[in-house]
Amino acid sequence: MTKRRVEDFLPLKPQWFHILLALAGEEQHGYGIMQEVLERTMGKVRLWPATLYGSLKRMIEAELIEESSKRPRPELDDARRRYYRLTSLGRQVLDAECERLQGLVHAIQTKRRMVTG
Amino acid sequence: MKRSQRVYERLARAFPHEFKLAHGDEMLETGEAAMAYLEKRRGWTGMARLLADAAVRLPLEYLSEMRSDLRYAMRALIKSPGFALVGILSMGLAIGLTTNVYSCNWALLTRPMQGVAHASRLVMAEKPVSYFYVESYREQKSVFAGVAAFQTGVPFNVRVPGAEDGKQQRIFGQLVSPDYFQVMGLDAERGRLLSPAMDRAGDAPTAVISDKFWRMRLGSRSDAVGLVLRVNGQAVTIVGITSRGFEGAFPAESASELFVPVTAPAAVAPELANDVLHRRNAREFLALALLAPNVTPAQAESAIDGVTRRLDANDPSAPPQTDKAKRVRFLPAGTRVPIPPELKRALEGFFGLLMSIVIVIACMNLGTMLMARGANRRKEFAIRMSIGASRFRLARQLMSEGLLLSLLGGLLGFGLAYLLNVLNVQLHQAVDAPGIPDLSVDWRAALFAFVAALVCGVGLSVAPALRAARSELTPALKEGSAMQLPGHRRFGLRNLAMTAQLAGSLMLLLITGFVLVGFARGYQVQANFDPKTMAMASIDPVRDGETPEKALDLFSKLPQRLKDSGKFSSIALTTLPPFATVDDDDSEQLTVDDPRAAQRVQQPAIKESVGSGFFAALDEPMLSGREFNDADERSLMEPAPADAARMLPLVINETAAKKLFGSTNVIGKHLRDRSHGYEVVGVVHDLKSGMGIKQAIAYVAVSRDDFARPPAAGITILARTRAGVNGVEAVRDVVSGLDSKLVLFHVETLSEQLAMSRRGIRSAMLTYGGIGGFGLILSAIGLAGVTAYAVAQRKREIGIRMALGANKGQVLRLVLREGITLIAMGTLLGFAGAALVSKALEAVTSVLADALAMGTNDPRLLVGAPALLAALALVACYVPARAAVRIDPLKALRTE
Repeated sequence: MTKRRVEDFLPLKPQWFHILLALAGEEQHGYGIMQEVLERTMGKVRLWPATLYGSLKRMIEAELIEESSKRPRPELDDARRRYYRLTSLGRQVLDAECERLQGLVHAIQTKRRMVTG
Repeated sequence: MKRSQRVYERLARAFPHEFKLAHGDEMLETGEAAMAYLEKRRGWTGMARLLADAAVRLPLEYLSEMRSDLRYAMRALIKSPGFALVGILSMGLAIGLTTNVYSCNWALLTRPMQGVAHASRLVMAEKPVSYFYVESYREQKSVFAGVAAFQTGVPFNVRVPGAEDGKQQRIFGQLVSPDYFQVMGLDAERGRLLSPAMDRAGDAPTAVISDKFWRMRLGSRSDAVGLVLRVNGQAVTIVGITSRGFEGAFPAESASELFVPVTAPAAVAPELANDVLHRRNAREFLALALLAPNVTPAQAESAIDGVTRRLDANDPSAPPQTDKAKRVRFLPAGTRVPIPPELKRALEGFFGLLMSIVIVIACMNLGTMLMARGANRRKEFAIRMSIGASRFRLARQLMSEGLLLSLLGGLLGFGLAYLLNVLNVQLHQAVDAPGIPDLSVDWRAALFAFVAALVCGVGLSVAPALRAARSELTPALKEGSAMQLPGHRRFGLRNLAMTAQLAGSLMLLLITGFVLVGFARGYQVQANFDPKTMAMASIDPVRDGETPEKALDLFSKLPQRLKDSGKFSSIALTTLPPFATVDDDDSEQLTVDDPRAAQRVQQPAIKESVGSGFFAALDEPMLSGREFNDADERSLMEPAPADAARMLPLVINETAAKKLFGSTNVIGKHLRDRSHGYEVVGVVHDLKSGMGIKQAIAYVAVSRDDFARPPAAGITILARTRAGVNGVEAVRDVVSGLDSKLVLFHVETLSEQLAMSRRGIRSAMLTYGGIGGFGLILSAIGLAGVTAYAVAQRKREIGIRMALGANKGQVLRLVLREGITLIAMGTLLGFAGAALVSKALEAVTSVLADALAMGTNDPRLLVGAPALLAALALVACYVPARAAVRIDPLKALRTE
């Protein structure tokens, strides 16, 4: 398969965006991602398990994330869990999506000023 | 909540293997954790969301797996392009060819005529009846919504105003009752069609022209409606143009361009002379009926049987009242060819069978190739299994390869069917063949072929897939493809496949060959002279506007004028060109007129009117007696005497003589038909022509009636030219010198005419030859595939044999011996199958029976076809066997 460009992924699917965002800080396992997204959105966005793992599988195929070989300390580790991290393409896509969203916010603010101003 | 947990677990386990391998445990863990939380906080709605999420993702994951399967299959196929190409080509050719052949025939058999409403309710009586009968049928309002009468193939000499040379053209059309178009349910493209209210006897002559007439002969001129044509010398006004593509009822018999109402005066159409509309025994019209809704043809036949019997009671020529057979038989008239239902079923069966054989062979090819490939890829499968691929996964992989091959083959097939179709249409347009409908790919046939290909592609890849999935890993990983030394199974799958392949191909080749050779032989004409030296031209003075008396006078002078020109060695007149094919339907019952005979001998024979010197012109010596001479002809030129006892001279052919009298020594014997008594004056050899070589033919001398009212083909002048003379031009000169008004038509040499008549055969040959040749290609591919597979399987065995000291020759013999046994078995089965099928075909259709009867004893086929196949099969065995002896024994033995 030919390598896909950053623009091909934009606009990013919401659940993909949340997953990338969750992995931006640190490597995470699936359940961790779910929890992080839930907390960050204050319970508004829940990634249901099948959707979550389906997305992870596709994102690995799209080379946005990859499995990490680093494991936490043995007393915290669960052998069944896999940990994921961003690839450089994933990071670029996340950056590009953030920029797009910022642009959107900017546009909204300009509009609002025009309406109220 | 225990139950929802169980449901979730079950759903999670149902996910594809690859998905579970990567995320299965985690998904279960995450689900359980979420469940505990959801139970507390959100109750059953949260639970429902969780389960719904899993249920929705499940099929999506499978689809995504399939996509990657197909992608992988595509890569695998690209890596072995030879295999892919052969597989796709054979599938594509099979689908394309069968779809095309079936579409064409299907169109002929079942496609409703263009522009005709209620085509399915339209029927046509098989035998002609008189106009009076049609009027009586019309009264049966409970079974018929309408009944019209028509005569088809009626010639008209037409002069179009403003035509360049002012010449007349001979155009074929129909005489129709004024309600004809209403019964058909046809609309006018322009103007109006005929109707009983508008077209009455005594009105100024009118006609409706076909769309083709308007386009081809009138150049689509806008003032066509209202235009006055000269039809057979009379002024006739065009009142309307039929809708596009309409060529009259029964277009297979004759495509009609001009529709003249029967209310027209006899001067416009001599067929209407002699009060033909009111004479009860003038059986000259075909009845076209629109069945009332929900009435079947059989019901209609029964309903009018009584009526017909009552009418027949007044007609001495009708069958006796004791005859129990139904008087009227209806054929479907809404399609281009009125084929009786039982024949239609037989023909459909024939084409269905051919189609199935082709598809089955192609599918078997694919199956054996997939099997061979599967055997050669055991190592790959073993490696994939050892790193975690499931057996199911591998089986799915092979099946997706089969699916992909079938899909690609199907696409190619559609393309090919379309292309063949375009070619076909162009071919038909080029020759302007009558009765050829708008050919387009029939979607039902295409769908059938495609589905068959898909089912076979997937189905046949299951066997090798399962076999591959059963592989034991260790030996497969070690070296080659064959694990256990496969026992030599006489009736193993592979041997059966090869035998079936051979038998199927031979059957296809033989059946198509029989039909082909039969057709070719049936149409083989053996003239005793060079057909280039015979000029032929037809004239029809009556339709050129001459009176019958003038026409008679013309015909009495014409032969002498031609002779006087000094350019011809012999001359004859006839109503039917020699070697033309005649329908068995046109035959008449002849009865031996012998008062001493214990029982009446009856025999149907085809009646042809020929002039004096006809057989001499054809260089055909008389077997006994004499042919017609000028005296016979002159005596027949007199008005028919009232004396019914007068014996007319008759010449019969060999077949007729043998069938009637059991010998050819029959000069002076008496015969009679419905209207005349005859005395046999000569016996002639069977002219070698037509499908039925053994047709009984009775020749009568051309008479006053023939000249006064020539048949559709006109009166044909046969003129054998002397060397270096352009016969056609010479005839033209003489005729125009005699009467400049006369139009010559069908002007050609005999060789040109023969070439024309062979065109239909050529197209049939193309079709059947195509199918047969295709079967050959397919079987070659299949045989190569099967033997390659066999050798691949026996690689190790061959290696061991060679390590133990067998030399190359011995190994080759081993492989070839097995091949020969299989070939012999396949050949036997193929012969048996072909014999069975051709017997069955002969039983159901007389059309194919004639061809088959002539084709089945052709030695070229009986020896050639199996020899060709066997040679192919041997080559297919030899090539992989050669490869096998080059196997390195060490490599083959390493698995030990």
